[in-house]
Amino acid sequence: MTKILTGGVGKVEVTRAIDALGIDSLDVAASSDIDAAMKFRAGQADYYLGTCHTGAGASLGVLVGLMGSAVCHTFGRGVPDAAEIDALLADGKKVFGFSMDQIDTIAPLMARAIADRG
Amino acid sequence: MSTILAAGSGFDFTLAQQLTVIALCALTAFIAHMALAVFNDGVRPFLLDFIQGRTTRSATTAVSFGLSAGFIFGLGAPMALSTGVLNPWLLFLPTDILGLLSPKKWLAPILGGAWGSVVVFGLNGANDIAHDLPVDFLTAMQQMSTPILFLFTLFPVLAITKQFGRLRGAVAGVIEVALVVLTMKLWPNMFAGALAMAVGVLMLIGLAVAKDLRQRRADRAAGVVEEVPADDPMASLFSASAARLRRYLPLFMVLGAGVCVLAQMHVFGGGEATSFLIAKGQYAEAAQVDFYRVFGFVPLIATTALASGAYGIAGFTLVYPIGYLMPNPFLAAVVGALVFAVEVLALSWIGKVLGKLPSVRDSSEHLRSAIGDTLQLAILFGSLMAANAMGGGLGILIVGGLYLFNEAMGRPVVKMAAAPAAVIIGGVLLNLLYWLDLFTPVKG
Repeated sequence: MTKILTGGVGKVEVTRAIDALGIDSLDVAASSDIDAAMKFRAGQADYYLGTCHTGAGASLGVLVGLMGSAVCHTFGRGVPDAAEIDALLADGKKVFGFSMDQIDTIAPLMARAIADRG
Repeated sequence: MSTILAAGSGFDFTLAQQLTVIALCALTAFIAHMALAVFNDGVRPFLLDFIQGRTTRSATTAVSFGLSAGFIFGLGAPMALSTGVLNPWLLFLPTDILGLLSPKKWLAPILGGAWGSVVVFGLNGANDIAHDLPVDFLTAMQQMSTPILFLFTLFPVLAITKQFGRLRGAVAGVIEVALVVLTMKLWPNMFAGALAMAVGVLMLIGLAVAKDLRQRRADRAAGVVEEVPADDPMASLFSASAARLRRYLPLFMVLGAGVCVLAQMHVFGGGEATSFLIAKGQYAEAAQVDFYRVFGFVPLIATTALASGAYGIAGFTLVYPIGYLMPNPFLAAVVGALVFAVEVLALSWIGKVLGKLPSVRDSSEHLRSAIGDTLQLAILFGSLMAANAMGGGLGILIVGGLYLFNEAMGRPVVKMAAAPAAVIIGGVLLNLLYWLDLFTPVKG
């Protein structure tokens, strides 16, 4: 079971979007940047998806500071494709930020890519 | 005839106001250069790497530019043009970029001051020209104020619904609408949403605090002990950041004084809805709206500041509402400086309290999300009303069409800014059509 936490302005929408995919191997829950940081430390979370208006810093919040920028990635307002997401996951990124007006596109892409990695 | 129109809403800055804007822009650029504070909440977390020397000035500038450009041209500029009131996106996002961009310490305030001059002189000119056009799209854009003010009133209801479910959301909605009706009936001179918004925000915060306290009691009853390791990386990062900010307390006090004085001069609105209220001279109402908005931002600004070691240019934005209400600039400067001093000194404590109140932090995210939702609809609807006012069906076709085109292209322009930007483009197009003798303005 892969545990995905969501945070930021659009966390309810991201959680709903991923739940709606019905992927059994994913457990997704709305959280916040601080709680996510604590859960990562305790090994209770695998990925974090944050959202805000710019898709960047505020969506990642304190995670950049606490987890280090090496595991954080922001798509900003851009929309990545599946190959780009795969490359980032393979690179060890765990914390992702994107713009809330791109949730419908990016949340399912992220969820499928994470599920594919098992 | 056109000169009478132009007197309606223009940037009639006095010399003192011009100098204040220029000086404040110079100061904010300097502070951004030092990475002590930035306005864009999204940029702040990236400053940690810069402060600790793990990234370059140019890379940080690129982040700041990428995150701010859309908001400057899409939100700040159209908002300022349509209201005749300055806003933080137009003033402080560019000074974030210019300050970070500047390779030398002395260059930052010069670039910032130059931007301030461009704003006070350039906007004035653009505003006068636009008001003199046959199709006056700036006056038309004032149509946006009604939907913004009334829909904004409901943002606490949306937040309550998202966080605490349909039932409580519906109850809050009924209470708020009843209060709006009551206010209109009993106090026709008051902004109709004022009381409703106050009650809505209080309900949300009340529900969140109650939930956190219940949870803590339950945890204690269940014997859950919160263990904080001595070498907690979060605690040490947070305390180092707080210490860094405290070292520059006098500079922050000058900044607080400056922002508060600008708000006091009533040429500046801190939030999306506020610019329209300031433009109408409803300062008490503007103060109320910005005061409630603060609750959506305190946890975000506090935690990102504690995590990054960089503060907000407007702090917790409390200096906006306080500034609107101050009787004179001198008192505003003193109070603004004191408010910033208290904010910076209390930052650590606020972080600790927020750490114990997860539902309250959660509320602030729901509040910001709700502010975005209400404004999105209000700005879209207001923009179409403006389109109708300036160009009737053709106006709606052009503005609505540009908005839909942006959607179809995958939103290169931020959704919130797409409609006002479309009104401006539409206004220019209608004027061109007028010159080509293909369009007759709706009203003379």
